[in-house]
Amino acid sequence: MEEDVKKVKKPGIVSPFKRVFLKGERGRDKKTSEKTTERRALHTFSLSQPDHRIDPDILLNDYIEKEVKYLGQLTSVPGYLNPSSRTEVLQLIDNARKTNQLAGQLTPELDAVVSLSAYNIKLVWRDGEDIILRVPIHDIAAVSYIRDDSLHLVVLKTAQESGGSPCPSSCPDLNKSQTLGSLSESGPGLVEVCCLLVLAVENKATAEELCLLLSQVFQIVYTESTIDFLDRAIFDGATTPTRHLSLYSDSSSKVDAKEAFEAEASTFSFEGSLEAADSSPSTPASPQTKAASEGELSTTAAELLQDYMTTLRTKLSSQEIQQFATLLHEYRNGASIHEFCINLRQLYGDSRKFLLLGLRPFIPEKDSQHFENFLETIGVKDGRGIITDSFGRYRRTASSASDSTANGAGTVGGDSAHSGGAGDAPAPSEGDEWDRMITDISNDIEALGVSMDQDGGVSP
Amino acid sequence: MTMEDIKNEVQTTSMVPMALYTVMYPVFNQLEKVNLSAAQTLRAAFIKAEKENPGLTQDIVLKILEKKNLEINYAESLLRMATEDVEEFLIDRREPEFQELNERARALKHILSTIPDEINDRVRFLQTIKDIASAIKELLDTVNTVFRKYQYQNRRALEQQKKEFVKYSKSFSDTLKTYFKDAKAINVFVSANRLTHQTNMILQTFKTVV
Repeated sequence: MEEDVKKVKKPGIVSPFKRVFLKGERGRDKKTSEKTTERRALHTFSLSQPDHRIDPDILLNDYIEKEVKYLGQLTSVPGYLNPSSRTEVLQLIDNARKTNQLAGQLTPELDAVVSLSAYNIKLVWRDGEDIILRVPIHDIAAVSYIRDDSLHLVVLKTAQESGGSPCPSSCPDLNKSQTLGSLSESGPGLVEVCCLLVLAVENKATAEELCLLLSQVFQIVYTESTIDFLDRAIFDGATTPTRHLSLYSDSSSKVDAKEAFEAEASTFSFEGSLEAADSSPSTPASPQTKAASEGELSTTAAELLQDYMTTLRTKLSSQEIQQFATLLHEYRNGASIHEFCINLRQLYGDSRKFLLLGLRPFIPEKDSQHFENFLETIGVKDGRGIITDSFGRYRRTASSASDSTANGAGTVGGDSAHSGGAGDAPAPSEGDEWDRMITDISNDIEALGVSMDQDGGVSP
Repeated sequence: MTMEDIKNEVQTTSMVPMALYTVMYPVFNQLEKVNLSAAQTLRAAFIKAEKENPGLTQDIVLKILEKKNLEINYAESLLRMATEDVEEFLIDRREPEFQELNERARALKHILSTIPDEINDRVRFLQTIKDIASAIKELLDTVNTVFRKYQYQNRRALEQQKKEFVKYSKSFSDTLKTYFKDAKAINVFVSANRLTHQTNMILQTFKTVV
């Protein structure tokens, strides 16, 4: 009983030794608790079990945050790394930790927040919120969960951007000089490379939750991208002209093109095509055929424009549409095709670069070759785009499609380019028709931008 | 879904003629091995009756299914069967572009017919959609090649048929967008059937006009 009494703490009496010793401890505890209390709450949502389903709207219009530890990012990793192979991935990670490319110990300094939406993964430091890196969803090739004893690692295999990536402050920033482009010299040839983003989480449940969230993001993004791919394929196949909309004849079918060419030159207009046809003296075809073909041409051109404007409305904001109209004006007024392409590419960004495909019918013959080459360099020619660039699918189909499209597109680009020598210089009336068409397009697009402002804009 | 529902659904679509050439033609082909004369008579009678009364064959088929109490998803079954070549539509001309047209049409119809097997697996279904996209583009590219290279009288009919095909391709895309929200697969089957029918109509138009 006496011992029990002795064991009871008597408030107010503290040994001097303990007072000095514990003061430091209390101070550190205080700082830690202050630090903890300073950290903001994460932006999270409750997820339905057992598959951690989240409302897609949250990923599309909002975001969700999870706490992780950022161990670092490995660059110039061979692209053929199998993200499902525990051995391969761990070997890389172990080597990286030995050479200090990745953090060795899990310390509070590595605390980070991963913010996930349908657009990107963003990683920021937990304290201070400084951004570490941002990876667009279409740059993520795979996500793996690896349990290594008590360590729960989530590893993202991503595309490699030029310029390297930041490492935690405790790790030297190696391989920056090796990260130009996504190809690296290795042995006799070039090897496609990628990055590995290495995160550690608290436990298996957290790791699985993160993986399932990413899986849902992929599902949303790739469903949308797949439908976009389908729409692009339809649009591209439908808009490859049966007759040149750029008003130049095709050397491979002179007779066909001549009739079409003259019909276009005399009657190309989005409105009143039949009236124009009646007043035009120069067409050789019979009146019924001429009216029918002109009506079809105008219908085709009007349909093309309508299709493209519908697409723009769904993909661009009103401000962006106005920017597009400005660029189009500048191009019409003498800016180079190169400048036009670069500016448009910048306007559309990576996720909307496929919109450039829809411009094909409106690019004049003299610039079509440059335009086609540009499309190829940015990876959207023949419907290749986000999906195929990141995942390497459709290379066989794309190459076979590109063969046929190269032949098909020859009338827009190659064939006409070959035939487009000095002998095919346009008569003034063709240039006028082209100018009028582009003016109509520009006016319609500007009007679209104004009407969208009045409607309150459109979501991207 | 009752037979009446199916009937209402299919009657509002452009897949009515498929009952004759997708369902009945293979039956007549098999019957020819048993009784050639009877099979040919029956075929001719159905063709004439369908021409005079569009939709008659479909009504007969649906009624037979109803009478036999067969629980069959008509649109799904039609789509699976639609991959078979219809001799009457195949283009006879030997030039490579026309043979390519046959091949592209066959490829598109085949990939469309796999939709019922893939639609329940999201990843595989997305892959199927991408294959469909490529097949549509390749078919349209081949159509455009034929337009450019060959002379023909009734160009308007060909262009009109191409427009119809593009229209139904877009409709198919819209149906898929709706499907990913409401998960009603039947609408995808119906839309795919319509696109298959338009593919056959492209072949038929090129066969008769060019």
